Amino acid sequence: MSSNTAILSSFVEGAPPGELADVIADIKALTVSEPSVLEDLAPAFQKYNEEQFITAKLPGGSSQVIISEFSSLGEGRYFDSESQSSFEFDHSTGKASGVQSFVLEGEQASLVKSTLSTVGTYVKEHYPNAAYGAYAIENDTKVAVVIVANKYSPNNFWSGRWRSFYVYDPSSGSLEGSIKVDVHYYEDGNVRLLTDKKVNASVSGGRAADGIAREISTAEKKYQEDLNRSFTQLSEGAFKALRRQLPVTRQKIEWDKVASYRLGQDIGGGASRR
Amino acid sequence: MASQDPFDSALDLLRRLNPKHTTDHLSNIISIHPDLAEELLSSVDQPLTVQRCKQTGRDYLLCDYNRDGDSYRSPWSNQFDPPLDEAGAGGVGAGGSNEGAGEGAVPGERVRKMEIKANEAFDVYRELYYEGGVSSVYFWNLDDGFAGVVLLKKASPQGDATTSGVWDSIHVFEASERGRTSNYRLTSTVILTLATKGPSLGEVDLSGNMTRQVELDLPVESDESHIANIGRLVEDMELKMRNLLQEVYFGKAKDVVGDLRSIGSLSQGQKDRETQRELIGSMRR
Repeated sequence: MSSNTAILSSFVEGAPPGELADVIADIKALTVSEPSVLEDLAPAFQKYNEEQFITAKLPGGSSQVIISEFSSLGEGRYFDSESQSSFEFDHSTGKASGVQSFVLEGEQASLVKSTLSTVGTYVKEHYPNAAYGAYAIENDTKVAVVIVANKYSPNNFWSGRWRSFYVYDPSSGSLEGSIKVDVHYYEDGNVRLLTDKKVNASVSGGRAADGIAREISTAEKKYQEDLNRSFTQLSEGAFKALRRQLPVTRQKIEWDKVASYRLGQDIGGGASRR
Repeated sequence: MASQDPFDSALDLLRRLNPKHTTDHLSNIISIHPDLAEELLSSVDQPLTVQRCKQTGRDYLLCDYNRDGDSYRSPWSNQFDPPLDEAGAGGVGAGGSNEGAGEGAVPGERVRKMEIKANEAFDVYRELYYEGGVSSVYFWNLDDGFAGVVLLKKASPQGDATTSGVWDSIHVFEASERGRTSNYRLTSTVILTLATKGPSLGEVDLSGNMTRQVELDLPVESDESHIANIGRLVEDMELKMRNLLQEVYFGKAKDVVGDLRSIGSLSQGQKDRETQRELIGSMRR
């Protein structure tokens, strides 16, 4: 891999929610002299799509299917448990094709089906527009749950993505995963919120599918409340401490007299009154 | 379709990639497209670096406008560090012109006098608004007036292991003198980085930059009134931008998260709205 490919791959990896096509257009314009570089970026596109839980619609279908390491069958094919189908995914165009039947069978099949139902109920209660999936993974020994919600508003210069995943281990009852939020605002500027929260929970008692949905619901509710609280704390704390809205005197500076502030005894009492 | 101008594409890319690492992205773009180096370095704002003035012991800020080659001019002593090679007569650096800032452009006597006053004034401003931090003002001559940059930087104390913040203000202006009035064109950028973490919160990073412009004609009686005019312009702009940053960093970000996921139940919210609608409907009847 040339150093240019490494750099361009890092640009792909850093694309904000819903803005990959814009980033690719910029890369093309910066590398017009060597159009072949885009072919070298195929692994970067695959990594981006799988890590960001990019969604696609199956030909003729209406629901969203999710691209992730959990739904990967290798060789560019992925599967969707809900529709019990597998499909080919083109990482550079984002299009799904070549749909085949993919029947759920094996040890975790019934847990996957019931988890799709319980998690589906939870997702519909808290996400106005999200895709979700459940997948048997690691040789049919564990079940992964993926949730992704996107909202893109290019006309208002912002976009956002909430993505979470959880891996349930039936042998120990542990549920481990992470929640990541990515918000981009870019009107006359570039502001980015990036968060990462690890989740460690355990499912006990009752039906596993109910416990999985319950633990996810509890963790995500608590996380959103914690995150909202951190906005307030940053605003009231670190942000205020960097720059005051007004001087301690609560008056703007009298610039015609600013030279006398220097000589004057009192620089607004800033240091002494705190 | 005509291909995009590489410079515009580079700026577009910098507007999309994580603003916390603008300096890295910038050097990466330049390594891919070296022709863009000069134009990008002079138009993309990066976090400011602090240096201590050897003559006065005071801290000052480094930017493209007080740079000559690898040397930077201190606003407090007017000296370059490291000192400029005497052979570079007229202060013109290697291969550079002497127009505008940088390349050893030391302001003329009158403009340097204003620069000294402006540094004193913004030092007061810094203390009143930032209660710490570093400020520097650099002026340079223009054909029909002068131009300058007002720089302010403040970092939160390093002792706090969970929360950190850095604020950089970069205000570039041009003053065109037209008799008893002067036309001021101000372009202001604030770069603000905030980060916090905790066992229950995980990691949260809020970073970015915003740029705003304003143009205004103001009366000028003396060189002192230039300093007062620039002071008011920068003070008003920073107040506006601080409010804007507060709105975007904390309000907008929270709203978007709330648009993605609702803390309350959506079906309950729907029911509540229907009940309210029925109630309003029955009151109208």
